[in-house]
Amino acid sequence: MAYGALFMHLSDLTRRTAMVRAQHETPAEPGHRLHVPRLRWLIPLLAFLGFLLLWEGVVRLELYPAFILPGPGAVAERFVQVVGDGTLWPHLTTTLTQMLLGLAIGAPLGVLMGVLLAKSRTLEALISPIILAAQSTPVVAYAPLLIIWFGSGITSKIIIAALTVFFPMLMNTMVGIRNVPQSRRDMMRLFNATPWQTFWKLEFPASLPVLFAALRVSVTLAIIGSIIGEFISASSGLGYLIKLARDRYDTPLVLVAVVVLAVLARLAYWVVTVIERKVIRWQRTG
Amino acid sequence: MRFLIIIALALGLLTGKVTGQESAGTPLDEVSFFMTFVPNVQFSPVYVAEAKGYFAANGLSVTGDHGDEPVGVDLIAAGERDFGLVSGEQVLAARANGRPVISVYEWFQQYPVGVVYPEGGDINTVPDLAGRNVGIPGRFGASYSGLTALLDAHGMTEQDIDLEEIGFNAPEVFCAGGVEASVVYVNNEPIQIAHRAEQGDCGEVTSVGVFRVADAVDMVSNGVVTSEARVTENSDLVRRLVTAFDAGLRDVIQNPAEAYILSADFVEGLPLSAELHAALEAAAAEQTAYRGANPDASREEIAAQRVALLESLQSEFPSDELVQFEVLLSTIELWDADRLGYADPESWATTQDVLLEMGYIPRESDPSEAFTNDFLPE
Repeated sequence: MAYGALFMHLSDLTRRTAMVRAQHETPAEPGHRLHVPRLRWLIPLLAFLGFLLLWEGVVRLELYPAFILPGPGAVAERFVQVVGDGTLWPHLTTTLTQMLLGLAIGAPLGVLMGVLLAKSRTLEALISPIILAAQSTPVVAYAPLLIIWFGSGITSKIIIAALTVFFPMLMNTMVGIRNVPQSRRDMMRLFNATPWQTFWKLEFPASLPVLFAALRVSVTLAIIGSIIGEFISASSGLGYLIKLARDRYDTPLVLVAVVVLAVLARLAYWVVTVIERKVIRWQRTG
Repeated sequence: MRFLIIIALALGLLTGKVTGQESAGTPLDEVSFFMTFVPNVQFSPVYVAEAKGYFAANGLSVTGDHGDEPVGVDLIAAGERDFGLVSGEQVLAARANGRPVISVYEWFQQYPVGVVYPEGGDINTVPDLAGRNVGIPGRFGASYSGLTALLDAHGMTEQDIDLEEIGFNAPEVFCAGGVEASVVYVNNEPIQIAHRAEQGDCGEVTSVGVFRVADAVDMVSNGVVTSEARVTENSDLVRRLVTAFDAGLRDVIQNPAEAYILSADFVEGLPLSAELHAALEAAAAEQTAYRGANPDASREEIAAQRVALLESLQSEFPSDELVQFEVLLSTIELWDADRLGYADPESWATTQDVLLEMGYIPRESDPSEAFTNDFLPE
């Protein structure tokens, strides 16, 4: 999952780099650009089909026993079964709830703290050592303590998810606000803007692209945080389902839960991207 | 995935090698050995077999590593690990799901799970747990199977109690008052909780009692497990491994002081001050002399020696320094039997019944195929 988030982040960076490059390059002839958007939707589909074929090929070559690597057919069959008998839904909704609540708590807090730290060098000097220390400590290291402190219910998982989201949001908010060009700040000063006006009219909108980039990563991190908590102690959730399936030697069910998690992460990422396009359309249109 | 397995194996080889010796001129057979959790004094038979050269004497060079039990079982089934210490219900569950694994030596003769409760309160019998908030690591593994069997033996089900999943944090959660009772490993957590209670660090709890699953039902527990292929294709290797493990286990039971000292080389952070080391060394020498003078000493006599040793140490050392030694002594009680390593077909059948009732395994099969007594030393 962590690699998935990193991959999405890198893909996003690549896309953004490509956009910037495209702005500086000579536009292609209109005729040449027509085919690309039409075919683009096929690329992920082909990649997915290629992956399935590769998976099936490995299974047919019997490189691994079926109990270690079942084929896509067996996994699909198990998926249909757990959807049909209602096993999957409670686990999916638990993880989704934890992820959304963790995001809803961690992201605004991260932004708020990021704004405060960006605005106050004294506060930054005071708190940043603690924040850096906490940020560089993997949440999985202290998650068992959070489970003990906040119980094995949903609360501890929400807190873990919120913590995984909090730090990237905080750091990116700081970067976003501090990267606002000085010339624009001077302009605001010229118009006698108050600090609040400067923040609301300039700094916040200007840092939105960075904030959304952080939010895209954060939604996947919130899922990771939720799963970490479920792995330690839980009675529901996709992480718990994976653990349960492993304990019962049900490898197809393990893979069903993994695939559902991957789809969930991709959907969450897509939702943020759609919101981003709506919210900061002004920046794209110039 | 194979790449990952190779990496994991390589890491195991780098970090977990428990032997490096080679008997004079004779190349040793390289054997990988899986253990659950992390290095712990409870794995002392392996450490003693290694330290005293029983593996090498049987032509084996053993590399140990630790991890999650289901992963270990899969590695054994796939031939990526040669042997492992795995619980009986995992063997049955794995076999029910197509993993060709088999238990070749029953290490624990008593099921190690129980329910710890505060003494002097309202809980005095298993039925008193009805309606109570009971902690459990999770609804899986030996803890869950043991609880199900214990409740069933008293005409109860999980629905009669308020079961809460607390991870492997029973001492912390129990002492913080998060649960009224908790499913534990009887040889470990109750000792830790009692130690906390003794120090006034366990809320209002001053002493604890344990409802042992083994007192209610005879279920199979941990044993030495390998793959069916290993048994059929290299039975000599299985026999040699079992012989070495058995020798290590016997030594631990008969001389726990020596076993504790030897385990300290394998278990990082095992409490062993210079004073305790000296006391255990003296006790080990004394026990060796006793065994020399009394080769036919009975189990009961040797058990009495262990009790006397603990009492002697308790008068000299603070309890926190002795917790792990107490865990070892308590675990020995679960291993000790008239016939070490022997698997009772009845206990395997009972365990399968419990797993079937829990829905843990889908169908009934012949439990006698899950174990063998063919490799027990004479």
